Amino acid sequence: MSLTSHSAVVRRLIVSPGPAPQEQTPVVASATAVSAVLRAFGRSPEELPARTVVLIGSAVVGPGLRAEHEGFAVMTAATPGIALRRAHHELHEGTADLALVAGFGEPDAHTITVYAVKRAAEAVADGDAVLGVLDVTSPAGTPPLRPVPQTPRGTDPDRHRLILWSGRTTDDEVRVRGELLPMLSGLHREAYPALPTAVPCGTPPGPVRAAAVAVSALAARTVHQARAVDVSRSRPVVLLFPGQGSQHAGMAAGLYRREPVFTAAVDAALAHMGEEGSRVRADWLNPQSAAIGIDDVRRAQPLLFAIDYALGRMILSWGVRPTAFLGHSAGELVAATFAGVVSLRDAVAMVQARVREAVKIPAGGMLAVAASEERLRPYLTDGVGIAAVNANQQVMLAGSDRPLGEVADRLRADGLTVVTVPATSPFHSPAMAPASDAIETDYRDIPLREPKLPLYSGYTGTLMSPEAARSPRFWADQITDTVHFRNALDELLAADDVLLVEAGPRQTLTAFARRHRSVRLGAGAVCPLLPARPGTQEADRQSVLNAAARLWTEGHDLDLNAVARLWTWSDDDASAAAGTRTPPIPAKALVA
Amino acid sequence: MTTSTATVTLADLTRMLRESAGEEEGIDLDGDVIDTPFIELGYDSLALLQVIGEIQREFGISIPDDAVVDAETPGALLALINSGRTPAA
Repeated sequence: MSLTSHSAVVRRLIVSPGPAPQEQTPVVASATAVSAVLRAFGRSPEELPARTVVLIGSAVVGPGLRAEHEGFAVMTAATPGIALRRAHHELHEGTADLALVAGFGEPDAHTITVYAVKRAAEAVADGDAVLGVLDVTSPAGTPPLRPVPQTPRGTDPDRHRLILWSGRTTDDEVRVRGELLPMLSGLHREAYPALPTAVPCGTPPGPVRAAAVAVSALAARTVHQARAVDVSRSRPVVLLFPGQGSQHAGMAAGLYRREPVFTAAVDAALAHMGEEGSRVRADWLNPQSAAIGIDDVRRAQPLLFAIDYALGRMILSWGVRPTAFLGHSAGELVAATFAGVVSLRDAVAMVQARVREAVKIPAGGMLAVAASEERLRPYLTDGVGIAAVNANQQVMLAGSDRPLGEVADRLRADGLTVVTVPATSPFHSPAMAPASDAIETDYRDIPLREPKLPLYSGYTGTLMSPEAARSPRFWADQITDTVHFRNALDELLAADDVLLVEAGPRQTLTAFARRHRSVRLGAGAVCPLLPARPGTQEADRQSVLNAAARLWTEGHDLDLNAVARLWTWSDDDASAAAGTRTPPIPAKALVA
Repeated sequence: MTTSTATVTLADLTRMLRESAGEEEGIDLDGDVIDTPFIELGYDSLALLQVIGEIQREFGISIPDDAVVDAETPGALLALINSGRTPAA
């Protein structure tokens, strides 16, 4: 069952504004009350999403209440029930990203119940504590909260899983491993997925750490051979998001319906694309019968966005808190989403505008050339530009088909190594200028905020300034301008020794980072999430588990329950089960 | 098909890997890299194609285009280059 049609209540609390409950005076919806609602959950209004709407459900509305308050839209409805249904509607029409619903006179005449409501898939992707989803199909009245549609856990004993262990000292680690091994060698394979994720249980992990990724048959041997690491130095995590060129048919599909946060996040991103999102998903999951090939801009860009975003969300769900973000080309928009510059809904709209305008540009493409920028400058012609400077000897050129083909011929004739990048549009070349002008009009309507976390830009080659982040022109120019990925990576690695994690398909950016001095010398490090080459779905999961193991041995503490879902969660039977079960609301969901 | 009897050694390959990366610092290829995937050494398919091009020019041999896909490690690439010819010794 898909979460995308639901709205989730992520916070709920009861406010009692009157001084003495015994007075029993009904509370009146006033401007003061709206101010209180905006602050009800302890956050200042500036921290709320740009598209937050306040919905007042009250029979009595004060005269001073306006349609806008402190920059947020305010709507009124006669009852709390109508307000909650309206919230669901606004969220799914895309007019709001967060609805704060104030049920006046709920549960008592003198109290207000405040609900924070989000689209359910985004709530799961964002790691919110979901109290329940609104059952808007119920008859009139306050829609009841239903539990999040849960799917049976699929504990396939032959899937790879993670085994983590640690010790306070080197000797302690040896002792812990010694206790772990007999458990694994004498284990019935059916019991393998249910073993604890990390041992020893119940104590904080120690600084000497090791990890194994294995199927049950190889578990004991893999644990025995694992190398323990003393994590005296734990480097902060920086997420890298790849762009066009990294896509491949069926990319990351091994995680879809096998990891709940990834699944919810992909669905949330695609849901913002409407009907087209459904077609994108169908072509992704059935590459053999795809209506449009993956390298086409109409598939590569939306899917790369959704998958990069979902991988980033999955990493965050493990409890990892990245300290900076850097995306390559289209990946910069994903990075901006994580840094708080744009909402998911608006970022998807920006991707869609790019695609809409890119297809109007005469067909073109991109080349990767093993040479420096200086070496390539003399080969540039009208309409062929430097698209990206990725690494010392890795530069991309872009242009319309014919002039680009001529440049490729000249480069090859001179003995340079040239590879065609899978792309149908001449991104980051002068040919894209009309598309930049067109999308700027769209981007002017989008609320852009300054980054809340360090966001490195491939366009400026440095930290993104608040001015750039808020400039529609800056974002519109990205599809025409050169990507200075090498400079941005340089700046990032000069600022701190970090563990770079590539949240995207293939290992394009990982390879660039491995050629960087900081990583070669071991000051920084890089870890890909997915395999370098397209492989099996199990290979996708195995690769993600290896990344989780890497984070653990780097000294990062992981949410063990979240990580365990990689081998205990499955949504395969969901469609068959959907609609047949209406389980009662568990007591937990009723606790506000 | 190969057209020369010269055998490409691991030392030749690591030297050319280093040269092609254009790195002043030199990539760490001193350890046991023969079975380390190229991608883990920082060589993507473009960088590897370039190295293969250099080898072809320097040794006057022809290496099939598929080598970049088939050979994931220096060991596998050397085996592919040096196969199908009379052993040097």
